[in-house]
Amino acid sequence: MDKLVAQYSRPQHQNEFYSEQEQQDLTESVPPLSLKFALPPVDNHASFLRAMTDDLANPSCPIKLAHGTTTLAFRFQGGIIVCTDSRATAGNWIASQTVKKVIPVSRLSRGEDKPTNEPTPGLLGTMAGGAADCQYWLRYLSQQCTLHEIRHKRRITVAAASKILANLTYAYKGYGLSMGTMLAGVTPQEGPALYYIDSDGTRLPGNLFCVGSGQTFAYGVLDANYKYEMSEEEALALGRRAILAAMHRDAYSGGFINLYHVKEEGWVHHGFDDMNPIFWKTKLDNGEFSNVTSAL
Amino acid sequence: MTSLLGHPAGGEGIGYSFSQPTAAPVKQHGFYPYTDNGGSTLGITGSDFAILAGDTRSTSGYNINSRMVPKVFKIGGDDETGEGAHIVLSVVGFAADGNALKERLDAVVKMYKYQHGKPMSVSACAQRLSTILYQKRFFPYYVTAILSGLDEEGKGALYSYDPVGSYEREQCRAAGAAASLIMPFLDNQVNFKNQYIPGSGEGHALEQKKAEPLPQATVEQLVRDAFTSAVERHIEVGDHLQMMIITRDGIQEVFHPLKKD
Amino acid sequence: MGSPFDINGGACVAMVGKDCVAIACDLRLGMQALTISNNFPKVFNYAPSTYLGLTGLATDVNTVSDLLRYKVNMYRLREERNIAPQTLANLVSSSLYEKRFGPFFVSPVLAGINETTGKPFICGFDSIGCIDFAKDFIVSGTASEQLFGTCEGLWEPDMEPEDLFETISQALLAAVDRDALSGWGAQVWIIEKDKVTQRLLKGRQD
Repeated sequence: MDKLVAQYSRPQHQNEFYSEQEQQDLTESVPPLSLKFALPPVDNHASFLRAMTDDLANPSCPIKLAHGTTTLAFRFQGGIIVCTDSRATAGNWIASQTVKKVIPVSRLSRGEDKPTNEPTPGLLGTMAGGAADCQYWLRYLSQQCTLHEIRHKRRITVAAASKILANLTYAYKGYGLSMGTMLAGVTPQEGPALYYIDSDGTRLPGNLFCVGSGQTFAYGVLDANYKYEMSEEEALALGRRAILAAMHRDAYSGGFINLYHVKEEGWVHHGFDDMNPIFWKTKLDNGEFSNVTSAL
Repeated sequence: MTSLLGHPAGGEGIGYSFSQPTAAPVKQHGFYPYTDNGGSTLGITGSDFAILAGDTRSTSGYNINSRMVPKVFKIGGDDETGEGAHIVLSVVGFAADGNALKERLDAVVKMYKYQHGKPMSVSACAQRLSTILYQKRFFPYYVTAILSGLDEEGKGALYSYDPVGSYEREQCRAAGAAASLIMPFLDNQVNFKNQYIPGSGEGHALEQKKAEPLPQATVEQLVRDAFTSAVERHIEVGDHLQMMIITRDGIQEVFHPLKKD
Repeated sequence: MGSPFDINGGACVAMVGKDCVAIACDLRLGMQALTISNNFPKVFNYAPSTYLGLTGLATDVNTVSDLLRYKVNMYRLREERNIAPQTLANLVSSSLYEKRFGPFFVSPVLAGINETTGKPFICGFDSIGCIDFAKDFIVSGTASEQLFGTCEGLWEPDMEPEDLFETISQALLAAVDRDALSGWGAQVWIIEKDKVTQRLLKGRQD
């Protein structure tokens, strides 16, 4: 009852205009990549958020968020392969076929796609689940990693970076964040390191992960052909082939194959290629995917 | 393994960390702060220009609130005339949220200019808009935004957003009620998807047609065609077409009539 | 579980040209996200120049197509002539309405040329048999919104068979590439007065 009274006795004008704090935020030169979020005036924001945005619990929800993915990463003798599809779906609608689901972490200045064959130092993060959650929090992680670099005069370890992210998702547990991400990097302290972090607060080190709606298909190909001793070419081809299989069978994965190789000197981009020509080449040259007819 | 899969297989629950819906201590009786005001927006870029367009109808349910509610705004210019702006924002969804978002971004872009003594670049503005949207991650702006301008090299730049701030630079993008009607048409006509070069080979050897930046007149015509098509088949789109054409010389705003039924 | 119309996925479209009609469908059969088959045509032949496309729940697509084949065969035996598109339209309509309170989850699309008049004819139906006559095009399936957009943008009156083929193919491929539940190849039928051309389209396999 008190709560009810409190709710209705609040002077209405209190919420008008920007608050002092908000005005301050606007005038600050540094954009707030901070942890202050507006919350709806309800008791249970998680259920409110779900009613508004979760298209699985409630298909007619008003706000459709981008979803659906296949991403994979595995360690092998030559480093780490990171490979993703590029599709974003909102329900059955394909919102985009050109999403960049591999996000460079640490060193913001290197975050843009600059065409270069030189390895770029830093970590790689992958994006599955809510697109905005992954983009925002990996950017936040970049900020923290860069600060770490400035404070300690050396690059952050993958273990430490993944812990920052896992602590974060754990702190926001129950708020409705949705992300499943892998962090890959090679550091002098750890060698090649791969971690899986998700919005439940899970943080797992490992050799091989697939994340997203198409993960089972990718695991199928990867588990059958994965060997730690693979050559670089074999590893790249395997990553590509696993994503291709997932794109073919999973309706919510598709578009372009985004392939990265992380080695000691940094990561190297191995193309953002349309899956369709690759699919037909794989089929016609190797006789795979015999379920699809090629007689035109 | 619960969350993060957009679509878990079978009849599994939703993709959040808790499988049981948390019991609300106090029952909320239909707190529904959003209205869908319909309408559609569309942006296409070229080598030295960008066009951002939207219809001007505002609806709620089957009613038409107004036939002249622009959805495309100049950002960072004069309050009255919009003079001096070099960035354009379109918002579609809930008009009140859209307006609040526009005002907020406008304030940010102006403060940036006063503090740094130079106009904000489109890429910086794009990143800033993303954080603004994400600040309301747990109480989202019910809008899909498109931001447009010219990049540092003078090429047309277009950034599209989801309601909570994930963004991407693209060649073209349709948003709003008729996005599903317009977007595949654009894929075909702007990015030449599924088009092959005649005579470039037989059967599987046929070469795909490459997308290249289109001339301004072609793009303007495409935008008009896309909207006249959308108006035919979507009840929430119509009345007028508002087009902002961003070139090196500034922003030109034009209106065309659309069907009013 | 979503709507029964969206479980298996699929798209279908019919268009009118100059003295010709075209009908096209995608080839996917899925179970929600999982693609089961990429060879599931949704267009069925009922007379030399009369075709019916059925999208929706795959089991009902099979049931309805078989039921109509039975009814059309009985019609042909009784009348000793092929069924006209207009007649088939009414047969489809009444057959669907028989199940008014427990409908088949299908949205049929009909395309054909009337053998006596030589005039093109297309129409669509809702799942309980309301006929939608159209002069330009009819769409159905999980990509229907996308098809409305592409067809409205690409279609023009009085196209020759070759142009009609190109138009319907581009419209269908562009539309299904924006729908997660349809695609994986497509088939097109161009129906002229005394000639039917069937073609397989190479589509994206994702």
